[in-house]
Amino acid sequence: MSDMSEDLQTNRLKELKETALPCFQCGVCSSSCPVFRVSPELNPRVSVDSIISRGKVPSEGNEWLCAYCLMCDQRCPMGVSLAEILMVIKNISAKEGQAPPDVIESAESLMADGCQSPISSRSEKQREDMGLPKLPRADPEDVKMLFRATGAAEVLELNRSTSGEASE
Amino acid sequence: MKFAFFPGCTMAYRLPFAEKSIRMVVPHFDVELVDLAFTCCPEPNTVRALSDDTWITLAARNIALAEAEGLNILTACAGCHESLSLAKHELDENPDRKNKVNELLKDLGLEYKGTSTIVHVHQLLFDEIGIESISSKVVRPVPIKVVTHTGCHLLRPERVLHVDNAEVPVKLDMLCESLGMVPLEYMDKTMCCGAGVRKINSVTSYAILREKMTSIAMVEPNAIVVFCPTCFITFESGQRVANRIFGTDFKIPVFYYTELLAIALNLPETDILLAEHRVKIELPTSTETKEENKTETKDSIPSSP
Amino acid sequence: MPERRIGVFLCHCGSNIAGVIDLEVLKQAVQSLPDVEIVTDYKYVCSKPGQKILKDSIKKHKLNGIVIASCSPRMHEPTFRQVLREIGLNPFLLEIANIREHVSWIHANDPKAATEKAIDLVRMAIARARLLEPLEEPEVSIKKSTLIVGGGIAGISAALDLANAGFKVYLVEKEPSIGGKMSRWDKTFPTLDCSSCILTPRMAEVGNHENITLLTMAQVEEVEGYVGNFKVKIKQIPRYVDIEKCTSCGDCSDICPVDIPAEFDANLSYRKAIYIPFAQAVPSAYVLDMENCLGVEAVKCGKCEDKCEAKAISYDDKEKIIEIEVGTIIVSTGFELFDASKKEEYGYGHFPNVVNLGEIERMLSSAGPTRGHVLKPSNLTEPKKIVYVQCVGSRDELTNRYCSRVCCMTAIKQARMIRDKTGASIYMFYIDLRTFGKGYEEFYESTAAAGVTFIRGRVGEILQNEKTMNLIVRGEDTLLGKPIQLDDVDLVVLSTGVVAADATNKIAHVLNLSISPDGFLLEAHPKLRPVDSFNDGIFVAGMAQGPKDIPDTVAQAKAAASGAMALMGKGKINVEPYYSVVDEERCAGCQVCISVCPYNAVTLNERGYAEVNPAVCKGCGTCTATCASGAITSQHYTDGQIAAMIQEYLSTRYWA
Ligand SMILES: Cc1cc2nc3c(=O)[nH]c(=O)nc-3n(C[C@H](O)[C@H](O)[C@H](O)COP(=O)(O)OP(=O)(O)OC[C@H]3O[C@@H](n4cnc5c(N)ncnc54)[C@H](O)[C@@H]3O)c2cc1C
Ligand code: SF4
Ligand code: SF4
Ligand code: SF4
Ligand code: SF4
Ligand code: SF4
Repeated sequence: MSDMSEDLQTNRLKELKETALPCFQCGVCSSSCPVFRVSPELNPRVSVDSIISRGKVPSEGNEWLCAYCLMCDQRCPMGVSLAEILMVIKNISAKEGQAPPDVIESAESLMADGCQSPISSRSEKQREDMGLPKLPRADPEDVKMLFRATGAAEVLELNRSTSGEASE
Repeated sequence: MKFAFFPGCTMAYRLPFAEKSIRMVVPHFDVELVDLAFTCCPEPNTVRALSDDTWITLAARNIALAEAEGLNILTACAGCHESLSLAKHELDENPDRKNKVNELLKDLGLEYKGTSTIVHVHQLLFDEIGIESISSKVVRPVPIKVVTHTGCHLLRPERVLHVDNAEVPVKLDMLCESLGMVPLEYMDKTMCCGAGVRKINSVTSYAILREKMTSIAMVEPNAIVVFCPTCFITFESGQRVANRIFGTDFKIPVFYYTELLAIALNLPETDILLAEHRVKIELPTSTETKEENKTETKDSIPSSP
Repeated sequence: MPERRIGVFLCHCGSNIAGVIDLEVLKQAVQSLPDVEIVTDYKYVCSKPGQKILKDSIKKHKLNGIVIASCSPRMHEPTFRQVLREIGLNPFLLEIANIREHVSWIHANDPKAATEKAIDLVRMAIARARLLEPLEEPEVSIKKSTLIVGGGIAGISAALDLANAGFKVYLVEKEPSIGGKMSRWDKTFPTLDCSSCILTPRMAEVGNHENITLLTMAQVEEVEGYVGNFKVKIKQIPRYVDIEKCTSCGDCSDICPVDIPAEFDANLSYRKAIYIPFAQAVPSAYVLDMENCLGVEAVKCGKCEDKCEAKAISYDDKEKIIEIEVGTIIVSTGFELFDASKKEEYGYGHFPNVVNLGEIERMLSSAGPTRGHVLKPSNLTEPKKIVYVQCVGSRDELTNRYCSRVCCMTAIKQARMIRDKTGASIYMFYIDLRTFGKGYEEFYESTAAAGVTFIRGRVGEILQNEKTMNLIVRGEDTLLGKPIQLDDVDLVVLSTGVVAADATNKIAHVLNLSISPDGFLLEAHPKLRPVDSFNDGIFVAGMAQGPKDIPDTVAQAKAAASGAMALMGKGKINVEPYYSVVDEERCAGCQVCISVCPYNAVTLNERGYAEVNPAVCKGCGTCTATCASGAITSQHYTDGQIAAMIQEYLSTRYWA
């Protein structure tokens, strides 16, 4: 199983490198990135470079800082889809157990009741007070089933155990 | 027009008054909303970052629910809009992917076909209903100076979304103008509010917000107008956090566009919307502006043929 | 037909071919095919000794069909044909199998399959050689005159070379004056000599040359005919001022009440409705711009006619159609600046203090709108902090992919001049600086030494402070990986690239010229025929063919002139016999061929049958394929020859 997913990972990286190849390191993406302006640890240009020249996902994990605002993607003069690249980098990093705890927490909540943050009785009450309808909810079992069948449950499990290790 | 309404988790449970404002205004434009058992869109930075397949499958499930009812989806949150639109784009372009997703949806008695479109309230108002029809219904103009923030996920990726020009968005400004507001130009109009990194690194997130707020504050608007609950929360509560961290002094009210539309239509119960705002604003009272509007319309009668 | 005796010659091309293809196997495979007399191989068949082997074999074996397996026919077909001519064999009894470009170079990693493919190609060539027929090359005479379209520095240089060599030149320019873009620029890189000082003497020379007919405000409407004999229709729009009578006194302009932005000054100054584009214009005469004129009737205005003492102004000047005949044509229609408002994140068109390279050129010019001072448009003060943004509209998938080649040097030139004049702080953001020409890199180095700051990184966005109208420029210093934000910038200059002019597109249509994907005119071969078009007798020169600086433009213009002279000097040329011929016995006179021929080579003759003009026909075969009666044959590419090749190929495939 893990062998297969490693293969998948290498394939994914290869594809990624193909899409990154036109990059000529001009720096339009970084100059347009709001995160880079305030936290230069995230530099989309360098992320693309490490995919191309090192053929691997940068290990620093800075890509999790990406706000997914797509400014870089909009302006890249070589048509490099940075948003996709940064997302795949996050995917691979998550598969290595590097997903930040808050991301894991939100995903857990989503898996449990279909919403990113737990739905509190207070907020339900607030809706009622405003005269808003009670919203129909998805069957939690359906959501869990989909999480399991499409890989997220596994990634969550993996990250739970690594964060457990780290805290030990 | 009838839509499957997709308020999204953030609006439904953290910004119910914004949702209320949508539900208040749309009947005035002959729009009917239906609620379905949707999940989170799901949020790309959480779910897609962990597994692309989970993201697309959950999104497909949401869209399939609306398709089963024969309805298009009306989104209210920029994030939901982008997430569902990108998923739809991918599923429509890539039949292999669609088939894989439908294998799983079959167990839930659903199928993604690609028949429903994803429309944001922004598009409903600007593209479907139109500025003219809106301004014709305004009885209580809102004469304030505003800056608009359309939001990253309504503008980009431009090749898929087509909501407005991604570099020079103007439609929300025009929508504001139609309610009697004066939209101001400001720097960093298309810049992100910082919401996307808040979970991961809150200081970075608020540093981005500070940059954005600095540009906004320079032109001294009375309010910020947004079309996304996440942007709303970032601007409104975020200002105070940013002030605490950086010692700044931002205090600008924020509105979700349809709140102002509800006020301009002079609908009852708009007080309950405003009561929930954390940065307050004194809007000109309804009687004053009504008079103004009356005289204005009177003036314009003789000149019309 | 006499019995076919085919000789097959296999070329090693050093190791280019022999290093991949097993020539011994190839030889074995083809030597016993029907009609093959002999198969020989040699290191370089194209060399003198190789040619001798070819000649000796033809004599010895009485060969009347030649197959050479070697490089592309585009390389040595003329060489081998000449050999055949010399030995008295018709040059069209030759067939080349391209086993280098089509085989050994591209299949070097699989020699076995390469050898098989080579065998196929040679077999097919032999099949065709069996059916080749001797053909004659008709001769056409060439008129000793040239049409030059576009009077920029390219057109001017070509015109003078041709006229000085004694050829008649018609120079057609769509603007009221020749000079092109160069007449607008201030100094030229890298030597900083004044652009008009080197250009205007040449313009004047064109204006006075007895062999040059200058037609301004004119465009080519229609061209018919073929190399040596082009019939050209030119449309000249009215100028309303007689260029012979006008003394350029300017009295008319002084009295004209209209003020409109002057294109020549990048719209930074105003001109009148009757005006002269610039002082040294050629022809040196005013021009009345009827579109902006108040109206020439006395009630409206009509002041200028009264004022003109020379009686040069005539309000009822009419459009003219001029018809000429020429032997050759040179297209030098130049370029336009990229429209920077398409890069919306840079604010051009919205922010007054964001300007382009052309506007700065006019400001730098002492004859320009600001008398040589670079100013901040929002308040006309001297900018203290200036940023250059390179590659605007070039090297960009979203606009143009190519490098515009002149903007790096132009930006460096301007930065250097501003820095030397005013000491302003200047920052230049670049991806790479392309300083490839003679003396260019040295010029860049001395500019850096003069205090201009170069930052590697493309600018992401430009913002305007709504209060001060100052600009903020955001970029990354990619060499340090650090974000850079320059605040309070007075002036941003966008290094706008160049694009093919709309007019180029039109002329390409009129002359049936090909356009490359970048929108510029396509040359016949990028290295060996850089100024020829695919149409015989038509040449391209200057920016019209692609981005280039003045030295390269002039070099191309001179090359095009010499190409035209080479044709006209001889006075006649032989046309390749690749044209189609009509068999009148079978022609039904339906005229379908006339409607499909892209070169208008087919006409109906007095007998009511289709007839192909050999000089115009390119042998494309469209008519041949369309004719329902099978009456048309494409000489040298007959149906029989092609069918034989296909049959030969399939026969090996079936039993293999
Ligand atoms: C801002 C800037 C600064 C530059 N500075 C320098 C420099 O310092 N040094 C240097 O070496 N190079 C410089 N260059 C490059 C230089 O301008 C070009 O190499 C040169 O102008 C090309 O000349 P051309 O004759 O090919 O084209 P053009 O100058 O464009 O001339 C073409 C002419 O053809 C006419 N025309 C077009 N279409 C038609 C038609 N259909 N019928 C009739 N006439 C037509 C046009 O009106 C024009 O007069 C600079 C370029 C730019 C953009
Ligand atoms: S903008 Fe595009 S080409 Fe430029 S550095 Fe970023 S990814 Fe590379
Ligand atoms: S998507 Fe991420 S990397 Fe790209 S500009 Fe936005 S924050 Fe920066
Ligand atoms: S048209 Fe007449 S008035 Fe005008 S410049 Fe020529 S000569 Fe002088
Ligand atoms: S007639 Fe026209 S061109 Fe002559 S002076 Fe009057 S406005 Fe000017
Ligand atoms: S010449 Fe320089 S500025 Fe112009 S496109 Fe090429 S690299 Fe860019």
